[in-house]
Amino acid sequence: MVDPTWLATAPALAFGAAALVLLLADSIDPDTTNTTVLGGIAVAGSLGSLAAAVYLLYGGVGIPTGEGGSGPAVLFGGQLVVDQMALFFMTIVASVTALVTLASMDYVREHAYQAEFYSLVLLSATGMSLLSAANSLATGFVAFELVSLPSYALVAFLKKNRGSVEAGLKYFLIGAVSSSVLAYGISLVYAATGVMRFDAVATAIQSGTVQTVVDGSIEAQASGASVQMSILGVGIVMIIGGLAFKMAAVPFHFWAPEAYEGAPAPISAFLSSASKAAGFVIAFRAFAVAFPIGALAETGGAVDWFVVFQVLAIATMFIGNFAAATQETVKRMLAYSSVGHAGYVLIGLAALTATGDGMALSMSAGMAHLLVYGFMNTGAFLFIALAEYWGVGRRFEDYNGLGKQAPVACAAMTVFLFSLAGLPIGGGFFSKFYLFQATLNVSAWSLAAALVINSALSLFYYSRVVKAMWIEEPTGERTIESYPTGLYTAIVAAAVITVLLIPGFGYVSEVAFRAVELL
Amino acid sequence: MAVAAQYYLLLSAAIFCIGLFGVLTRRNALIFLMSVELMLNAANINFVAFSLQHGNLTGQVFALFGMAIAAAEVAVGIGIILVLYRNFSDVDVTKATTMRW
Repeated sequence: MVDPTWLATAPALAFGAAALVLLLADSIDPDTTNTTVLGGIAVAGSLGSLAAAVYLLYGGVGIPTGEGGSGPAVLFGGQLVVDQMALFFMTIVASVTALVTLASMDYVREHAYQAEFYSLVLLSATGMSLLSAANSLATGFVAFELVSLPSYALVAFLKKNRGSVEAGLKYFLIGAVSSSVLAYGISLVYAATGVMRFDAVATAIQSGTVQTVVDGSIEAQASGASVQMSILGVGIVMIIGGLAFKMAAVPFHFWAPEAYEGAPAPISAFLSSASKAAGFVIAFRAFAVAFPIGALAETGGAVDWFVVFQVLAIATMFIGNFAAATQETVKRMLAYSSVGHAGYVLIGLAALTATGDGMALSMSAGMAHLLVYGFMNTGAFLFIALAEYWGVGRRFEDYNGLGKQAPVACAAMTVFLFSLAGLPIGGGFFSKFYLFQATLNVSAWSLAAALVINSALSLFYYSRVVKAMWIEEPTGERTIESYPTGLYTAIVAAAVITVLLIPGFGYVSEVAFRAVELL
Repeated sequence: MAVAAQYYLLLSAAIFCIGLFGVLTRRNALIFLMSVELMLNAANINFVAFSLQHGNLTGQVFALFGMAIAAAEVAVGIGIILVLYRNFSDVDVTKATTMRW
């Protein structure tokens, strides 16, 4: 056991502390535009969070004491649980935040509100870290809002840029509706079961009677009322709807292309990688722990939610990838491809059978894909940030011949894109292959077919960028005056890790598989 | 209990649907915000009613969190609508269309 127990939330605390330090620095000197100090604090906070998460992950927090671990850290009467799965996602969030804050040092260098920018990023990251550990619908909802609220402001951060404001508005409006749908879904689940802690909800579903939590232990309610399965079913569907927004899954994906295109590019990277991972972690935990599909099927089947996820996964893959293939601008293409990738990860919740078989394999495949995706997609969006920094245009043609002027960054971008498409040049090949295995394991042929078809299609539109960068001749005059250190470091680091995940993938998938087993 | 629990469910479902209707039909961003508030408060009615029904305080605590979060959401939302007005000279959500869908 970590002693004292609250230290197990160190990855989230590091983010929160760094955000407060930034606000303090800003109140001491409100006019400062010293990027080195402000960005430095943000990067230090993110790296501290990463170090804490990796340390706790290796230290065996969440692994039972009988197997040499120190058991999960349970806080606040079971409202927060730091286990292997929480730490796995905290690692993803911290890595992405470190890359994004590092890259932002060049991107917002001239901006007047840098301290606010960094502290909003870190507060949102705090929410994501907490969301990874949330073990109740209540803490989950609060952490979910802590992720969302700063990110609305971040998308609209360029106050004088109409695209950014419009993106922020759309993101906020759809986000606000989704969180009220989520809140209403939670209220229905509470109405049916009488509890919000995930394990207590599961007990209520399994026993069929309303439960209550007394002093941290789950007891049947004295009145002996039974769980209303119809109310529970509507509640579960509304929760899926609310979470699908955060994952940018069809049909709640409309905000994604707008928000990613209009937002400052490092924020697009942050939202499409870390925020998406946060949406998935709460879904994974809620649906693996609170709404066990086997028990739901036995007790009269309020809702076979894995069928809902199958439909969502297939629709998300096809709509995301086909829309990406028709885009004219690179950033919007990446935005739609990010929607498509949400579909791949949804396989983690969809490749199950009615009795819950195959969950460990499919869910760990989804987690491993999110980790690899965290690096390759962040890297790709940071390359867009670099292109915006140089004033390269937005269309595919504007990238013509860029490979001759910036070979290192373009080589990194090539790695990201081919890895996203699923070629064995980065970890993306193995994570997709692992997902493919998970679908075959439960004979989900439609999911397997959708995965293969869409990966093949994605190679087409990703290679358009690669072709423009390396093969086409530049059309207009373009001079690149400076090579920003922060952005370059972040892009190269992301590329190196994407490549290193080829040999490292076996280890990652093992950790993910173990984490799901221990849930 | 004076009022049976299902009437609270009916009331909250009605308020939720009124809010959803407003979200889908209104073009003014401020009215949109009010509609979202209705939807959030519909959830709060459920929480408080079933807190009484189940005899535990979990729901009431969540309702308090819900109100605080709704307030924070409005604060951010008003800020975004303010910059929207500065850039587009209007709070009509259908006017802001520099990007195609």
